[in-house]
Amino acid sequence: MTSDANQQKVATTNKDDKGPCGAVLVCGGGIAGIQASLDLSAAGFRVYLVEESPTIGGGMARLDKTFPTGDCATCIISPKLVECMRDLNIEVLTMADVAGLEGEAGHFHAKVQKRPRSVDSAKCTGCGDCWAACPVRNHPELPAEFQPQIQLKAEDATRLDEILARHEGDPGAMVPVLREINNAYRYLPREILEQLASRWGVRLASVLRVASFYDQLRLEPVGHHVVEACDGTSCHSKGARAMLERLEEKIGVAAGGTDPSGRFTLRTVRCLGLCASSPAMRIDGQNFARLDLDGVSDILEQFK
Amino acid sequence: MSQPIRTAEDLKGVEAAGLATLYPDKLKIVVGSASCGLAVGAGAVLAAAIATVKELGLDATIARTGCIGFCSQEPLLDLLLPNGPRISYARMTPEKTRSLLAAYAKSGELSPDMALGRFAGEEHVLTGEGHVYTSSQKAAEAVPEWSSLDFFRGQQKVILRSCGSIDPLSIDEAIARGAYRGAMVAIQEMPQDKVIDEVINSGLRGRGGAAFPTGQKWRFARKAAGDTKYVVCNADEGEPGACMDRTVLEGDPHATLEGMLIGAFAIGAQEGFVYVRNEYPLAIATLQTAIDEAEKYGLLGDDILGSGWSFRVRIRVGAGAYICGEETALLESIEGAAGEPRSRPPFPVVSGLWGCPTVVNNVKTWASVAPIITRGAAWYAAMGTRSTKGTTVFSLEGAVNNSGLVEIPFGLTLREMIYGIGGGIPNDRPLKAVQAGGAARGCIPPSFLDLTIDMEDRPNESLMIGTGGIIVLDDKACMVDMARYLVEFFLDESCGKCVPCREGLRQMAGIMDRICTGEGSEADLFLLERLAGTMKAAAVCGLGGMAPSAVMTNLQHFRDEFETHIRDKQCPAGVCRGLAPTGTTN
Repeated sequence: MTSDANQQKVATTNKDDKGPCGAVLVCGGGIAGIQASLDLSAAGFRVYLVEESPTIGGGMARLDKTFPTGDCATCIISPKLVECMRDLNIEVLTMADVAGLEGEAGHFHAKVQKRPRSVDSAKCTGCGDCWAACPVRNHPELPAEFQPQIQLKAEDATRLDEILARHEGDPGAMVPVLREINNAYRYLPREILEQLASRWGVRLASVLRVASFYDQLRLEPVGHHVVEACDGTSCHSKGARAMLERLEEKIGVAAGGTDPSGRFTLRTVRCLGLCASSPAMRIDGQNFARLDLDGVSDILEQFK
Repeated sequence: MSQPIRTAEDLKGVEAAGLATLYPDKLKIVVGSASCGLAVGAGAVLAAAIATVKELGLDATIARTGCIGFCSQEPLLDLLLPNGPRISYARMTPEKTRSLLAAYAKSGELSPDMALGRFAGEEHVLTGEGHVYTSSQKAAEAVPEWSSLDFFRGQQKVILRSCGSIDPLSIDEAIARGAYRGAMVAIQEMPQDKVIDEVINSGLRGRGGAAFPTGQKWRFARKAAGDTKYVVCNADEGEPGACMDRTVLEGDPHATLEGMLIGAFAIGAQEGFVYVRNEYPLAIATLQTAIDEAEKYGLLGDDILGSGWSFRVRIRVGAGAYICGEETALLESIEGAAGEPRSRPPFPVVSGLWGCPTVVNNVKTWASVAPIITRGAAWYAAMGTRSTKGTTVFSLEGAVNNSGLVEIPFGLTLREMIYGIGGGIPNDRPLKAVQAGGAARGCIPPSFLDLTIDMEDRPNESLMIGTGGIIVLDDKACMVDMARYLVEFFLDESCGKCVPCREGLRQMAGIMDRICTGEGSEADLFLLERLAGTMKAAAVCGLGGMAPSAVMTNLQHFRDEFETHIRDKQCPAGVCRGLAPTGTTN
């Protein structure tokens, strides 16, 4: 694409420190950054590819398939990764941040700061043994901002102790413990989750990952009564949508929300298993089935 | 009364105690108090019965029982007369209960006009024996026999053998009807391989949907290397429109526990888990009581039946995730993680819970095991079709006159199911479609009605209804709306791990929204087909692979309805808002 003459020009102008310097800095080593680097190198530019994480590849390297064609992501990115690393015109700077930028178009001076890798990359064979031995990975020392900020109240701390004691020695305690906290507080208070993470010595993120996966575990406080309208197939065929609309109208909040007075939280649930007596709903664990629209209002009245 | 059971004589002793409460010499009032009954007022009926008995000074015992299956007639109240049959009264209210009992107390009047049916006897499926009610009451003969009712004619109860007959909180009554005999025979008299052979010979296949031969699964787990092994009961019945597993656990928890006990013995497991969904609190409580009672009798825990072998069962409660019904996601959840499916292989029989060999079976599968041991594989294999032996439970619901739980041997047709057992469609409306076998199967048209129900799809011959919900839809249902509903269901339940499922469903839901609001175009149908192809080929687990077929089945069989929505901006059934209804439907 670039003629020899142009390249010559780049080379010469580079010397006098005035014209375009002939080198390009690419920020970000995802698929876009890699492709940009390869194209620029082919066009005759010297490329510095700066990436903050330990490796280039970005999001695409973690994907199995690409949408919507279903093509294999690895098959697309792998050749480019190899090409990028072998290209003599591209210098890859991983674990690096652009710390400063001066100058003007065609003649920038970039300051790049490399962070410590804690591994001698010349000697590393990629065996992975350091993973198992790593004190940082296995015993996270949480940065100050992620340490529990609030000391729990005495009663909360006792309650948490009791819950944890009931599941002592159970390797799969995460879900049952979160369920018990959820039942005790009607949701999962952030400060309790922080305490839980720090007691178990796991990252808060891994607790939140489980907590946010399950529908019944709630991260937001709920109303005094929880109304669950069944939206199973059988209920759907027997007018569950009209029932939900009546509930929304009576309670004054859309499904998924809590009314302003905090009396009701309304949500839908996929099948209460009362399919032969549909439509059905549940309020605070009590089931009501074979409902008609007026009956719904009467039942709500029972819950003050 | 909590002497550990060691011998057949010990079991006989408990059986006698159970029979005494099951069939007492005085009046017994039984109220169906499973979730389905309680949701329509069984609690108030029970309270009224207790109050009335006290008021009238009747000499009667009052008991709860699980669901007998006829959910559309709940609340059910049964009278077991001191010297007469058992009579069931349907759709009870506190007022009806009071007047019924008052009339009985006054003159022995049985109010046959309020009665639904009468039992002349009860079969104890596990032993092959039974109890015959003496019938000296002339008045009772006006009431039809249970087995002559449409709903029960043609049913054969094996899995639901004691549901609706015993007090689910009483292990004695379960034993009185034959529970734990199979476990005793297996543990004390049979080598492990013999137990597995028996299950293989019976032809029992997984009742959860995938229909894998149960005995084979056990054999793989028995042969798998490792000292620690697990058995798991999948009671995460997330499939919308299915409530069979709930009924079994609420009505006869020992059926499942005994099956797990026999399975654990056969493969050499020491621990078992029952994974129950959070939406079933009564099932969880009933099962926990059953486990505690069984431990008191030494049927679970250490040194079971004096064999020196230990086996414990723990309940794990789900937290609201449909995908946890998939066995590897369920195992992840038991381990305490987010319930995302694992790649298979390795299969759980080789590497399941915490990397150990694990057998995962559905509630109904476990509940089918004990009768195979007590009555023999040949007895079980005599039921069903050539390729699928035995019985299974369906929940029959939607637009049918008789809705509830139906246990039939494989081989009936959908027509016999809907027009025979189900008693047809209310007001004789035409049948439009059936949503059977789980959300991913979509809706099938009436042309499938004469196929036999089986565990294999054979063109023009049989139909697989894996997860047993059968939802009947009449002409008031809109197939485009159903397709949209099913897509939205899967969109909600997609775990989001892989792109084809997460984004594909979002796009599909958008397209279905457009069609249902009259903004769809012909190109949308083409787009749906392309999306479905991609998702089927590329999704990581079964959910993403199966989800598009819900829409595709509807599109294939009801394409004209989709086209009416798009071209004429009309919804023939009048379901889709903003679209004018067409035709004669009102």
